[in-house]
Parts: sequence; C-alpha cells; structure tokens
Amino acid sequence: MFADKTLWKDNGARRRWTAALVLSLLLLSLPWIVRLNGQPHADWQQFLGRFHPLAVHLPVTLILLVPLLELGGRRKPALREAAGFVLVLAFAGCIASVMLGYLLAFGSGTAGPGVTRHMWGGILLTVCTMLCLLTRPLWSALPTDKVYPALLTITLIMMMWAAHQGGSLTHGSNYLTMYAPRPIKTIASLGRSQAKSDSFYVQHIAPIWDKKCLSCHGDGKVKGDLRMDTFEALMVGGKDGSVIVPNKPDDSLLLKRVTLPESHKQFMPAEGKPPLSKEEIAWIRAWIQQGASPTTTHLAGISIRQDSDVPLEPVGDYSALQPEIERMKNAAGAKLLTVSAKPSDGLILNTLDVAGNFGDAQLAQFEKYAPFIVEVDLARTAVTDASFSTLAKFTHLRAIHLDNTSVTGNGIEKLAGLKHLTYLNLSGTKITSEDAARLKSLTSLQHIYLFNTPAQPLAPAEARKTS
Amino acid sequence: MKQHPLCTDTEHELDISRLALPAEVRREWASLQTRRHFLGRAGKVMGWAAMASLVGDRALQTHASSPKTPAGAPGPDELKLPHFAPKAKRAIYLFMSGGPPQLDMWDYKPNLAAQYDKDIPDSVRGVQQVTGMTAGQARFPVAPSHWDFKRYGQSGTYVSDLLPYTSKLVDDLTIIKSTNTDAINHEPAIMLMNTGNMNAGKPCLGSWLAYGLGSMNDNLPTFLVLQTKLNPKQDNQPVSSRLWGSGFLSSEYAGVSLRSGGEPVLYIDNPDGVDSATRRQMLDAVNQINRETYEEVGDPETNSRIAQYEMAYRMQTSVPELADFSKEPQTTWDLYGEEAKEPGTFAYNCLMARRMAERGVRFTQVYKRGWDVHGNVVGTLPQLCEEVDRGCYALVTDLKRRGLLDDTLVIWGGEFGRTVYSQGGLSRENYGRDHHPRCFTTWMTGGGVRPGISYGETDDYSYNVVKDPVPVRDFNATILHCLGIDHNKLTYKYQGLDQKLTGTTPANVVQGILA
Repeated sequence: MFADKTLWKDNGARRRWTAALVLSLLLLSLPWIVRLNGQPHADWQQFLGRFHPLAVHLPVTLILLVPLLELGGRRKPALREAAGFVLVLAFAGCIASVMLGYLLAFGSGTAGPGVTRHMWGGILLTVCTMLCLLTRPLWSALPTDKVYPALLTITLIMMMWAAHQGGSLTHGSNYLTMYAPRPIKTIASLGRSQAKSDSFYVQHIAPIWDKKCLSCHGDGKVKGDLRMDTFEALMVGGKDGSVIVPNKPDDSLLLKRVTLPESHKQFMPAEGKPPLSKEEIAWIRAWIQQGASPTTTHLAGISIRQDSDVPLEPVGDYSALQPEIERMKNAAGAKLLTVSAKPSDGLILNTLDVAGNFGDAQLAQFEKYAPFIVEVDLARTAVTDASFSTLAKFTHLRAIHLDNTSVTGNGIEKLAGLKHLTYLNLSGTKITSEDAARLKSLTSLQHIYLFNTPAQPLAPAEARKTS
Repeated sequence: MKQHPLCTDTEHELDISRLALPAEVRREWASLQTRRHFLGRAGKVMGWAAMASLVGDRALQTHASSPKTPAGAPGPDELKLPHFAPKAKRAIYLFMSGGPPQLDMWDYKPNLAAQYDKDIPDSVRGVQQVTGMTAGQARFPVAPSHWDFKRYGQSGTYVSDLLPYTSKLVDDLTIIKSTNTDAINHEPAIMLMNTGNMNAGKPCLGSWLAYGLGSMNDNLPTFLVLQTKLNPKQDNQPVSSRLWGSGFLSSEYAGVSLRSGGEPVLYIDNPDGVDSATRRQMLDAVNQINRETYEEVGDPETNSRIAQYEMAYRMQTSVPELADFSKEPQTTWDLYGEEAKEPGTFAYNCLMARRMAERGVRFTQVYKRGWDVHGNVVGTLPQLCEEVDRGCYALVTDLKRRGLLDDTLVIWGGEFGRTVYSQGGLSRENYGRDHHPRCFTTWMTGGGVRPGISYGETDDYSYNVVKDPVPVRDFNATILHCLGIDHNKLTYKYQGLDQKLTGTTPANVVQGILA
C-alpha cells in the first residue's frame, strides 16, 4: 500500500504514526471519557465554549483551501508547498474547535441526537485531517499514490456534513429549506411524516414551537432536557419537571418562562432569539386553560383569522413590454400600473382618466398584456357584454371592476375560466341574479357586488352561497 | 522660500511668514492664491470635469429635474412603490378636529358612575403636567359619561347612545382605544397627527401618499381636502392649509382644498367670452414662458406651477362632474339623509368622498371642527355626534355595498382625547372635559385592517393606556402599510436627514389590527 517503504521505515515517520494513533483513540473515546449527560457544568466551560462558533470557521476555510492549493500546485509548485502548511493549520484549528465545542456542549448541558451527530462529525473530521497530514508526504514523493487524494475527498465530505449539522443546531433544522422553492422543499421533506390534522394544537400551537423553540428543544439540540418536537415529549417535560399543566396556565412552567421580562436570566426563548408575540402567548394560555388537548379543534374566546391571503400567483416576465408600458404612463389614455415594486405581482389596467372613451375596442388592444394583468378597472367605461370574451383571455385576473357600465350579463359565463378571480364588481349594471349564478363554478370568487342591479343587492356572504 | 541655485539675485526674498506681522495676516497671505496654486488647482478641476463627462448625466442628476419630478427627487416610478402589494389603493380620513371625548363615545367605563365627583386618584393621574386651562383647578373630580352605552354587533362592542348609526357598523370597524399622542394642545397635536411632527413644515400624510403612490386619475388632484361648514354654536379650533401642506416635498403634492359652500373651486369656469380653446392657447403661452424661466433659473417650483396650471385646466371639466349629485339614485339620499344635498355639511362631504374614491382620488381628508368641548359637554356633544354619525355610517356602508371598501381604507379620529375629570363645574347635568393626550379612540375600516375588533385597553379612568399602546407614529406607519408602503423606506433627503412621516423615533406597524 505504501509504495515507499523507506519512508515508512523511517523512525520519525513511525513516531508520527504512533502519536496519531494515540491521539485518534483519545479523540474517539472522548464521548465515553467525558459523558455529555445533559447537565450544565461550570460557567468557565461555557465561556470558553461559546468561542466555538467563532473558531470553527477557521478550519472549515482552511480545509476548503487545501484541495484548491493542491490543484493549483500543478501549475505553480509554490502553491503546493503552501498546502502542507495550510493542512497543519487546519488540523490545529480542528483540535481547537473540537475542544471548544466539547466545552460548549458539556458546559451548557446541551444534548440530543443533533448534538451527537455534530460531535462525531467534528471528531471524525479531525481524525481525517490528521490522516491527510500523515499521508501527504507519501503523495508528494510519489504523485501516483491514491491514498492522500482519497482521504482528502473524504475529509471534504465529512466537513460539509459536520458543518451542516452544526448549522442546523444553531438555526434549526428547517433553516435551509424554509424559504426554498417548493420542489426543493418537497424533496427535503420526503420521508418526514407530516401530521395532517385540523386540531388547534397542530394548526396553531405546534407551529409556534416550530418557529420559536425547536432550534434548542427539538430533535437536533435538546436543552434543559426538554423536547418539544412531539406532543408526547412536550408533556413529559424537561429537567425541572412538566412544563405544561393542563387547565392551569399560571402553573405551567413554559408559559412562565416565555412571559418573564425579556432581561430575565430565565426568559425564553433565550440568547436573544425572537420572543413570542402577544398573540402567540394568548393562544398558548387559552390552549392550556382549556385542557391542553392535542385534538380539540376550537378554543372558546380565540378566533383565529383565516389567512385569506392566497399568496399572489406570480405573473410571467413582461420586461420586453416594459418600454410600451412606460410610454403609456406618460401619454393620455388608459395606463398599466404595477401592483407593487415586484414586477411578478402583475399589472393593473387603469382607465379612470379616460373612462368615457374606453370601449371594447380599446380593451381588446390590451390583449397582448393579458397574462400579466391581475386587475382591470373598467368602472364607468363604455365597455359592453362583448368585453367578457376579451376578459376571459386575461388568465391571471384577480379583480374585475365593471360597475356602472352597460353590461347586461350576456356571456358572463366566459369568465368562468378565470381561476384566480376573487373580486367581481357588477354594481349599477343590468345584471340579473340568473346571470350572476352562472359564475357558480368559480370557486375562488369571494366578493361579488351586485348593488343597484336587477339582481338582489346581496351581501357578499350570501352572494357566495347562491353563486 | 528657498533660493534657486541658478538665481544670481543676492537679495534675500521677502519671506512674509517670517516677518513680525500679526498671525492672521500671515495666515491670510499663506492662503492667498499664488500662480502656482492656481495652475495646480486648474489641473485638478480639469480632471474632475473630465470625470464628470465620463460618468455622464448621472453625476449631475441630483441638480437636474424633469417636469414630471419637479423637485429633482425621484418620482413614483423611481421610488419603486408600493413596496409590496397593497390591500388599500386609497384612503379617506375623517378628521375630527378639536379632540372628541373618547369617554362619551367609545371607551366605555361603567365603573365610573360610582366615582362621580370623587377625585381621580393620584396613582392614576401621576405627576405629568395638565393644560394651563385646568392646572389651576383645586380638584380633578371624575365626570362619568352622561350617556348610556349598549352592546352592538356580533363583536358585542359597547358604543354610546350618541352614535345610533355608527354603532351599526361595529362589526366592520377596527376600534383603537389606545391611540396616544405627545402633544397636549391643538396646533402641535394636529400637526403631529397629520405630519408626524409638532412643528409646521413637514409634509402631511396625504402629501407623502401623493408623492409615493402618484395619481390614479390625472384629471383630479391626488389629494383632496374637504372642510365641513362651521357650526357657530361649537368651539371651532382653526385648521389651516399647513395640515395639508407638502412641506419640503414639491407643492404639487399638497392637498387641494375644495370650498365648503358655493362652487367647490373658485373661478374654475371660464369667464364669459373665453372658450376652452382660448383658455388652452393662453395656458400654452404661459407654460412656454414658465419653461423659459425654468431653463434660466432652474427652480423646480416652476415646474410645479406648470403642473398646477394643467391640473386646473383638467379640473374645469372633472370637478363639475364630481360635484354634480343630480344622477345619484334615491338610495343615496335614503342612506346619507337629505342633509347631504346641502354643500358643506359633513354628510355632503362624506358623499363627495365616496364619489372621489370612485374616481380614483388617492387620499381624501374630511375635516369636521368643533370637538373642543371644554365645557357644556351635555349641550354640545349631541349636536356634534348628530352631525357626523350618519355621515360616517353612510360613507362606510355605501363604500361597502358598491364594492369599494375592499380597497379603500377609512380612518376616523382627532388629534387627542379628553379628560375623565371635569373642567370647570361638575354637576349631574353637565360637565366639561379638557385635552387628554394619553389615550384616545380612533377607528379604521376597509382595505388592510381587521374588522370587528377593539384594539388596546385603557385603565378604569380612561386615563392611561394599559395594553397595546398605539402612538401616533405607529398609527401612521400602519396606514402607510395598508397602502403598500414600508414607512421606513418612503423617505426624502432634506436638511441632512432621510425624512419620513413617522419621524426618527422607531415606529412599528400595528400588526394586531392588520387583516
């Protein structure tokens, strides 16, 4: 395996290998020598330990640098010389980080599967780095040797894994994927069971834990022996006993700790993480007050506003049309306004300036913008029933104002294809309730206004039922 | 100065800096330009000039301006507004100038009946200053409200008997009982409410909106102000155009105040013998002269002037149409009452506000004066409430049935509240109330706010806020939020500050009242 036996036989090399073996054994047995039992220990340990997040970035960078230097060394031998030195530094950094990390975990009494994973990651990474260091002289003497490159690759992978575990401990395991595009999210959550329930706990209480508590009390990190990632674990409580006493919010430790003054030592969430909002506290209080049940679906006195905000469906890219839109803005006539600074929120067709002169023909001219328009304001314009077939092509429409126009409802069923339509104003038109009813297939429609029409001026809620 | 080696002149050069002269004379000499200085600096100037031409117009843009953005500041397009998709496109602000008494209208304190004529406890009143009008009083006797409160709507909100119409709306309203201000007198308080600063000279809410969001209808001003006719029986504190002024923003963004009686805008019709074409010709000529002035002087206000002439010209047709109520159906009069037919009444202004909302006016502010009830609350308050109650109800109901409330924010409020203790004599029949900045009630409804809730709580005396205080800056930040504006981002550089409506004290959007 080791091509150059003379190197191996060299006394110095043997001593190095022996020292490495001892150190490896020592590192690997560390978790058994000093057990992480979830109990906090001396403050000085925590003080030093808290430099771990600072120190840990040093070896990460250095290890990343090594393969770059080795590759670059093909052209510039000086780089390869530097690589050896960087590797030594990386190893020293690894040792320091492992020690500090161990002090942090031991001192603060942090334990849990995530902590264990991160600990093993760190230890194994240190061992790998050391092996790299030892095998590198062989490789520099005989570049066909494959041991060092292989070890270096393993080290890199090891480092990424260990670093990711560490990141998850600090920021929570969903930190990376929380704002990821949906496809990535589904891939990331594959294999994770998602509790589907409409109980108040699952819908409203557990998400608070998710957002504010799980980064320290979840499956990654378990501080104070308290896990909150499952209902059962939550009810078991932590090292100070149960944290939730059903029906007795004032005796529940959890509620006590989150409602302390923010400067208090025991205030939760600790370490300056975002505190719970008043509303969240009120929900937790009511939930405990009313039995802290995992299944109850409704709590007396708490009405949760349904987030009726369907996230806006982004419209496509219309930057090619932008010059024309700008020209319209500065000219007399109908204009396309942007919903917000975000182009993908879409455009609003505004005809208020020119309402009297805006008819079906003018509307038809906007067809080329059709997929990008989310709202058309045609109130008091000269459009007629012929506008319905044009509007049907505006597939992203959320709101249509047709109030005080001469539409009669003939052909209104053409709008039934507008899947995003939530608002339709037909006040002051000749529309009848039969015509309005022809939109009943439009499940997205929340507000339909029929004031001052032959149809009954219904309240929106009733209109919803009939239409 | 050192002698040049080739210089044969044996005379020593006169070295001013070594002469026995006063220090400042020597300094002045040193600072004077020598030929060498001049040449040296000229070289640098050339360098800068070359760089400016390389960088192009961009470097000069802060000084230049186009007619669309008169002050040389970014216009709505460049401001990238709204910052996010707004819930409301426009707002109507019903401003109750003088300070409506929250205790007699919204903030129900049933326990006060038993406290009649007892002194308000020092623990409640604290040590803060009261106004000069009551500071001399020997006692601060509690004056419970003269009127009963009843519960209304599904939300079961208590509303005073003084508001039989508005009380029908409670399930649509977001009632804020914990609004509070820093000012205790009318002028600073009303300035603070409108401009975010007690001192005059800052742009008001409406101007910020006009500046930030721009117009939806080029034929009407973006920001209109309607004043309600004075009722001489009431104690009318003055309101002035400072309240709708644009401060350091271009005067184009100032509110346009329509008259409360007669023609809404004076001299808007062409005089006899002048037809529209003549008017147009005249305006073109005036604009030409103004543009020349601008080229010569470069004052951005010249461009504002051009824009205003043009606006006035367009308003010659749009305002008469706006003020023509003849096509309003009978249902309108059934809702607003016959009073709405009389120009200048609050009901008329409410109807006008609805018509403006329909026509895309971004911000309408309706002022109603007379709420300064220092004495004779029992005599004056019913009048005041009667004047506004139906109008408020009608406006919100009308907007709602016409489908306009979804994207219109309606705001109701004054500049401060009134005290629980009586100013002047207290009897079972009558009492007075002094200014009270520490808590007052406002309400909002429509696009962006959560209907059917009361937000914030006051103590048993409606004296201090005990839960969820809403200072003026938060109130205004929330209004901007509903219109899609991040109050921290809508700024304008002036006097070395990034000026903003909510001022320098950090302000927060009141999340608890958002829909």
